[in-house]
Amino acid sequence: MPNSGRRLEIGPTDNTSDQRTPRNRLRLIPEIARESFAPYVPQRGLSRQNDWDLTRIAPDLPRAEGVAIEVSGKLQNERGTPISNAMLEIWNANHFGRYRHIEDHSNIPLDEHFLGTGRVFTDSEGNYTFWTISPGAYLARPDIGRWRPKHIHISVSGGGSRLITQLYFPDEPNNASDPMAILMGDDFERNIGKPYETPHIDVDSGLNFDIVVGGRNAVYFE
Amino acid sequence: MKANTQANLLLPTNEDTVGPYFPINFSDPLLEDLSQFESGITAQPEGVPIILKGRLIDRYGELANGTVVEFWQANAKGVYRSPKHEGNPDIDPWFWGYGRLRTESGDFEFKTIMPGPCADRAPNITITLFSDGISRIVTQIFFADQTGNASDPLLQSLSREDQAKLSARHEGQSDCGSKIYTIDIVMAGENEIPFFDDLIREGE
Repeated sequence: MPNSGRRLEIGPTDNTSDQRTPRNRLRLIPEIARESFAPYVPQRGLSRQNDWDLTRIAPDLPRAEGVAIEVSGKLQNERGTPISNAMLEIWNANHFGRYRHIEDHSNIPLDEHFLGTGRVFTDSEGNYTFWTISPGAYLARPDIGRWRPKHIHISVSGGGSRLITQLYFPDEPNNASDPMAILMGDDFERNIGKPYETPHIDVDSGLNFDIVVGGRNAVYFE
Repeated sequence: MKANTQANLLLPTNEDTVGPYFPINFSDPLLEDLSQFESGITAQPEGVPIILKGRLIDRYGELANGTVVEFWQANAKGVYRSPKHEGNPDIDPWFWGYGRLRTESGDFEFKTIMPGPCADRAPNITITLFSDGISRIVTQIFFADQTGNASDPLLQSLSREDQAKLSARHEGQSDCGSKIYTIDIVMAGENEIPFFDDLIREGE
């Protein structure tokens, strides 16, 4: 019967986590105030043409370097109800492990044909699909030789759903030493995509990632 | 964990850190200024325009750069734009109440209107931080010069010292006449502000 909230854990070997993780236990929210902690995100953000295909910057431009993959899955709530019309914002590093972000100052090469950001919406059954280049792992902490494993960032918003997560790849050598993976423990398994074959489309392979939004103590069910 | 009552629920996907590289090209000016509706439309939300100026500060007193900040608030009449209030005549058609920005430096300016009091609550804005090193932390910011703080159930669940840490202070006016409020959101360490647990319920 905890009468106080969780104490957040600090990711090992993660400097920023040490700097920014609250040290006090989280406070409990009085019942009457709970609803106010559940944002309802309006439908917005039209995706541009080709925003589902991160493997090229525009339809009339060549493919980026690396392995083209399809990522697909179903977005649902804890009860298994599909969440339609939600926006997925996606970003990942290029084949070499570099983001085309003005604050990524690493010496890893950019790829002139890779932007690495996109947006898609879930359909009426909660399904989503996008294509991207399988991202490179990169050395996040050269001082201690810690790598970030291959991962794709996914931000879900729409209606009562709000989640930012990362999709990881199976059997990657750096998965086990990732600070966030360590914090997730056995639950990390659920953030690893499940490979599937893609015989009839123009990508090398597929990765299935079903996303379940839930866990909050105040949500809006549709 | 409550194994029995939740046995039929799917396990939620783990939240994970947003990392340092949330794409700046995902920004939407309309989500950084809720005091305006879409440009070119003769309409404005009801209420007193305000600017919430915040600083996100880490354990060492440095600004928490690259953080994604989200806002959620009631309209001037104290009504949240959520399914629960669908059809409420006090919904403001020009106000959604959801905002988002990414701060490059760790400073931010969020333009909006003063939320109204609702039910037993004092005016407040829910703030969610997504940043490198953490997944998601949430809190609520109040306004030192608004009425109702003394009886707000959330504020009153905190010590006086912690209440003060969640109270934005009125500091002047902008050129456009918006009231400016300032708040330091200390994420960790000395002067750390209270953050709230929106997963766990009391008594569980």
